[in-house]
Amino acid sequence: MQMKYFELVKPGTNHDFVKYRRVAVTISLIVNALILIGAIAWPRLNYGVDFAGGTELQVKFDKAAAAGDVREVVSRAGFGEPTVQEYGNKEDNQFLIRVERIALLTPEAAAKVKQEVSQDLTQAQLAGFHFDPEVGDKLDFTFKKPVDPAALRAAVEKAGVQTKEVRALTSRETQDQEYTVIAQGPGDKIGQLLRDKFGKDSVQVVRTEYVGPQVGKQLRNDGILAVIYAIGMILIYVGFRFDFRFSPGVVIALIHDAIVTLGYFVVTRHEFNLTSVTVILTVVGYSVNDTIVIYDRIRENAKKFKGMPLRDLINKSINEMLGRTILTSGATALSLLGLIVYGVGTIQDFALAMLVGIISGTYSTWYIASPMTIWLEEHMAQRRAIEAAKPKVKPAAKPPQQAAVR
Amino acid sequence: MDRAWYWKAGFIALITVGAIYALVPSWTYFKLPPDQRNESGVFEKARPKWGPARHLNLGLDLQGGIHLVMGVEVDRAVREKAVRRAEELAADLDRRSIKGVEVRGDPDTGIVTVSGQGDAIAQAKSRFAEDYPDMYVRRSGSTSFELSMKDDAVKQLKESAVDQAVKAIRNRVDKWGVSEPTIAKRGDSSILVQLPGYSNPEKAKELLGKTAQLELKIVDDQNPIVTQLKDLPQGITLDWETYEGQGGALMRVPYLRSKDGVLLRQFVQGKAPAGEEFGIQKVEERIARETYYRTFLLDRKQTVTGEYITDARVAFDNAPGEGNRPYVQLNFNRTGAELFGKLTAANVKRRMAIVLDDNVDSAPIIQSEIPGGICSIHLGGLKPINEILQEAKDLALVLKSGALPAPVRILEERSVGASLGPELVKRGSLAAFWGLVAVLLFMALYYRFSGVVADVALVLNGIVVLAVMALIDSTLTLPGIAGFVLTLGMAVDANVLINERIREEMKQGRSIASAVQTGYDKVFWTIFDGHVTALVAGFVIRAYGAGPVRGFATTLIIGLLASMFTSIVVTRAIVEWFVGHGKLHKAFSV
Repeated sequence: MQMKYFELVKPGTNHDFVKYRRVAVTISLIVNALILIGAIAWPRLNYGVDFAGGTELQVKFDKAAAAGDVREVVSRAGFGEPTVQEYGNKEDNQFLIRVERIALLTPEAAAKVKQEVSQDLTQAQLAGFHFDPEVGDKLDFTFKKPVDPAALRAAVEKAGVQTKEVRALTSRETQDQEYTVIAQGPGDKIGQLLRDKFGKDSVQVVRTEYVGPQVGKQLRNDGILAVIYAIGMILIYVGFRFDFRFSPGVVIALIHDAIVTLGYFVVTRHEFNLTSVTVILTVVGYSVNDTIVIYDRIRENAKKFKGMPLRDLINKSINEMLGRTILTSGATALSLLGLIVYGVGTIQDFALAMLVGIISGTYSTWYIASPMTIWLEEHMAQRRAIEAAKPKVKPAAKPPQQAAVR
Repeated sequence: MDRAWYWKAGFIALITVGAIYALVPSWTYFKLPPDQRNESGVFEKARPKWGPARHLNLGLDLQGGIHLVMGVEVDRAVREKAVRRAEELAADLDRRSIKGVEVRGDPDTGIVTVSGQGDAIAQAKSRFAEDYPDMYVRRSGSTSFELSMKDDAVKQLKESAVDQAVKAIRNRVDKWGVSEPTIAKRGDSSILVQLPGYSNPEKAKELLGKTAQLELKIVDDQNPIVTQLKDLPQGITLDWETYEGQGGALMRVPYLRSKDGVLLRQFVQGKAPAGEEFGIQKVEERIARETYYRTFLLDRKQTVTGEYITDARVAFDNAPGEGNRPYVQLNFNRTGAELFGKLTAANVKRRMAIVLDDNVDSAPIIQSEIPGGICSIHLGGLKPINEILQEAKDLALVLKSGALPAPVRILEERSVGASLGPELVKRGSLAAFWGLVAVLLFMALYYRFSGVVADVALVLNGIVVLAVMALIDSTLTLPGIAGFVLTLGMAVDANVLINERIREEMKQGRSIASAVQTGYDKVFWTIFDGHVTALVAGFVIRAYGAGPVRGFATTLIIGLLASMFTSIVVTRAIVEWFVGHGKLHKAFSV
């Protein structure tokens, strides 16, 4: 029967995917390790308000202002992607702004302040200094002797930190003199930027408040635990439906893809928020499906070509499915194209990270999941060989089998 | 066409019609002008009465919603903790047979006073020092000492009270995890809650603000103190009731009643004897059709509380005269069941008040020990059955999702606009739409006829997913919409698999009919395993995850089930129809 249709991949294509598995796995391992180091140690993920908390401001304009303009000004403050919402009635001209920064001061700037203060106020003997960027723009000083708050203020401002308030306190226990300096926070900076743009008296910061993360420790731990259980169940299901030699491949491939997707956020330093988590979970689902489809073909071919080495079976199956894999990945990527081109901010990040994940999902099936099965098979064959070689264990030990799927 | 095919076609038609039916209200909702659709009553008036009442909602990023700031009365949580500690200490001393010591926790100040004689008090003090590291002795005398919570214990308690409140609120807002609210702690230990486009802020406030603190307290019917209260204000009267008490003796109990609940509560405030308190019940007489408030004298000790509840659900009372009235049935965990059994065993033929948020719900007479830990709450009722049912459902939800550790107050309530600007919303939605169109076009061009069949299946897939999401009150956010387009990726994959397989079979020289047959048969398990593996993960994440992760799992599960249905059942039925009618010989293209 003569049929006419497009064919992406010519029949009989036979790339040797398995051949490059050592190189591929080595590169993947290095890339994954780098991403993990990048995410945890340096430069670390750029956590958004969802995870890290931030500062919430309520601002009031004396005349109507567009949310878009406000957002534009605030995003220039350098506190990541801000959330700007109209607040209350439209006639009130109020906005609720959320940014991911809690403290304006950096630890470096705080260290500079400490140095300046201990130099300028040597008499008072600086005994303690505390600054925590997770709490806000609050500098705590402890002196052995009392100081003039004005002098302390002058010293702090000399180090380049705008000061709002200096509070004094005497410790009852140690007789130390404690001072708290409240410096200008993100709220003040944003207020300033808004006033620069909209006019000096037209903007009023009604309230500044620290907001905690949406995803607290409890919720995060619950989520991680849920994913671990899910991975365990996948191991079991694949073990029953295919073979237990196949299970680790699926799981390692999905972890690989999750890490690579995370890599997008590490490399771009774009905000990592709840939407990013959704992206990673979606990629994991996609990756599992992709791997299973190939496994299914391996399972089928193993029945058809009994005795064919696993290596060749895998190669054959991947090649037979090549057209489908490229088509599916292509179609899915196509659905993201609009968002990549026209999307902005979070949405664009969503689409780009998803694209990275889809590419990784396809790659990992070929180069991560399949080699894992071969290794497991070889390892088991070796073990069986050793068992067989041992004298007196079993009288009729089987010879090492050819590596093949049942 | 065989019989089985017609059954299949009928089933598909049923699902399609059902899905469209479920989406009718959403259609109406989105046709309403954006600034009006969330006003209370607007949607209710516009929706077709024959359709379901639920509709898809737009998330905070797309249309904004209501903004609530809730203050948690953390001080009260601390005081109540102190009182519970007092009860624990008393029970502890009792167990060690240290007699002659009285332990009393003052619920108004959170101070625990321990009084008794020399030797016993010394023993009590040493017990205390060993086992109560979160309290300190604030004043000490020869016959008594006072205890209070330590500062860091107070701090920790306050923090955990807010955390617990956040958790309970999250559970209440979001049964399925799909309404995408913003819930976060603020610096001043208040809680920020933003709900997307909530059209009924009153209901939201009621649901979130309900403390849902359940306590079971024994009624003291021996003490006739209410008869000694002088100067009853206008509107409060003394009344008597009788019931068969212990040993068949007739109990004659005085109580106060009034039409004015607030007045009654104010009057009895602080008039109860030590260790006891007055509880107020709102009585709704169904036969006389009147409503009044009455007092109970309650023992302050609370051994069984809502924290032991493992499950709460709505059940129906079909006793004669009750006409299937809904009520809430509670299950306690093992500890709770044990305590409940003990409490009921010790108080047979006495009355036990079920107190919910400081109001007595009912005070049934304990006929015998109740083992097994099942307790029920009947809702009062002159209201129509469907309102009681709604109330019962809400109550079951809040009881199950956990009590708030302390009452919350709404400090602030405002409407907020979309967190993404309208221009971004438009661009994003348009981009997602064109992405979908691109995929459909691609399928049609690449596979021709089969591609069009696949497109029909994809569109149906989308409709089914949206319909189910509408039925569970889902909220669409921009990432959600993009993710939805992507779940179509799985469905696309299934169709690609099918078509590639049919091509393969045809290449091996099979006829069209046989290629379709074997193609679908063989690919079934591929699609099945791929989907079920993801489904397994989805169900596990839904069971153990919380908040947004859970919402993701819900959407994933719906998407996967729909994708299996449309790709395996629907496309096959369509293709078989064409093949069966001989309409495709040369024209069939995959």
